[in-house]
Amino acid sequence: MDLKDIKAIVDLMKKNSISEFELEREEFKIKLKRGLQGGTQGGGDELPIAYHPIPQALPQAMAAAPEQAPAATQAPQASAKASTDLEITSPMIGSFYASPSPDSPPYVEIGTKVGPETVVCIVEAMKVMNEIKAEVSGVITEILVDNAKPVEFGQAMFRVRPN
Amino acid sequence: MTTLESILRALRGAGDQGVAGTQVSSALGISRTAIWSHIQELRQLGYDIEATSHRGYRLLRVPDSLLGEDLMSQLPQERLIGRSITIYRETASTNLLVDQRAMHGESEGWVVFAESQTRGRGRLGRSWVSPAGKGLWFSVLLRPPLRPPEMTQLTVISATALSRAIRQVTGLQPEIKWPNDILIQGKKVAGVLTEMSAETDRVSHAALGIGINVNLEASDFPSELQPVATSLQIEKGEPIHRSTLAVALLKALDEDYARICKGSFQEVAREWADQCITLGKRVRIHQLDHSYLGVAESIDPEGALMIRTEHGELERVTGGDVTLEKEP
Repeated sequence: MDLKDIKAIVDLMKKNSISEFELEREEFKIKLKRGLQGGTQGGGDELPIAYHPIPQALPQAMAAAPEQAPAATQAPQASAKASTDLEITSPMIGSFYASPSPDSPPYVEIGTKVGPETVVCIVEAMKVMNEIKAEVSGVITEILVDNAKPVEFGQAMFRVRPN
Repeated sequence: MTTLESILRALRGAGDQGVAGTQVSSALGISRTAIWSHIQELRQLGYDIEATSHRGYRLLRVPDSLLGEDLMSQLPQERLIGRSITIYRETASTNLLVDQRAMHGESEGWVVFAESQTRGRGRLGRSWVSPAGKGLWFSVLLRPPLRPPEMTQLTVISATALSRAIRQVTGLQPEIKWPNDILIQGKKVAGVLTEMSAETDRVSHAALGIGINVNLEASDFPSELQPVATSLQIEKGEPIHRSTLAVALLKALDEDYARICKGSFQEVAREWADQCITLGKRVRIHQLDHSYLGVAESIDPEGALMIRTEHGELERVTGGDVTLEKEP
């Protein structure tokens, strides 16, 4: 792994709003963090690190996309067990919409309290609109997908701290 | 079956021959006076029913208003979609009604029409013009035996059923713009909005919402829609009987829904792809914040559109808006 690979991972983290990344191989270990406290530029999708002190599972898109992260499927499995946060995943391939229409506020934001029936987003595939419900009670700690971006089957879209 | 539906079925079945009051009353097990009062009710709704001593009752003309019992009386007795039909004079949105009823346990196949919608909706909060009495604005409650990723099959059957019913009733040649806009001469005449309620691996219910611009005039559309929207009346040059079209469409939907429920999706998908005018065309794919050009090369087995981009890559498109580009 060289600087180019690391840069590619950082770009993917930005693109998918991932704030922590950890990869452990026999010969090396790399841990990347980004967010407000890390001194990045603080755009709308930047997240404070404080919300997720424990390494989280990687969204599937990340695991599937880059050749630069060959062990991506192994590393997160080990660390996911330690996490207290749950993931809300997409039940289908489609486009992620954070709000019911472009002009309206998002269904949920970081810090929003949700119940099992709370709608958190819409995933659209071929004009079929799927209102995704939280299915758990808790607080949204992370939003992992940008509005109107594609999501894969099983991809994590939100993290929720259950209560 | 309600009495009103049975009477209408008998009247339609008899056609020009007419049917005797005694025959209807013994078939339905109710008095001739009761039959008479239902006939009066139908007359008040605008049905022209002749009553003579030698021919009995004869249905001469039906109004262009929607009556649930009358729609049901024209559908096959064995059916799922349109098993029960309710007509609202006005509602916010028929998809909303389906969602509410579904949560209270209404069974599959319930159909709700509204003569007008105050907040008719399209995708992503866009509105759908639904003036009173001029279109067919309705939703079907479905509980499909499909997993969430397979729900796009509903998009495909809504397109094939709409196209078939419109062709049958009007003789016009509808085209399908991927995935399920129905166009005539390049302008949109019908649209579909499917909203589903699902858990991770199971669909609890879906509202298949359909809007057809039947007898709208150009002035019914806001000016920004006039270049891109049309109605069957505008294209045909004469008004279309809405309930005839509604019956043809419910039949077609029931047939195609039955086909996907028994696993024959690929068969329906082939008919759909054959009518899809998007294929082979230059298109622009609009995502919320950007758009790109490409050529619609094919449709994959799930119905997604395969786009060859300007940079030569093959993109699989399932969401966003696809518009046809003018050929250079």
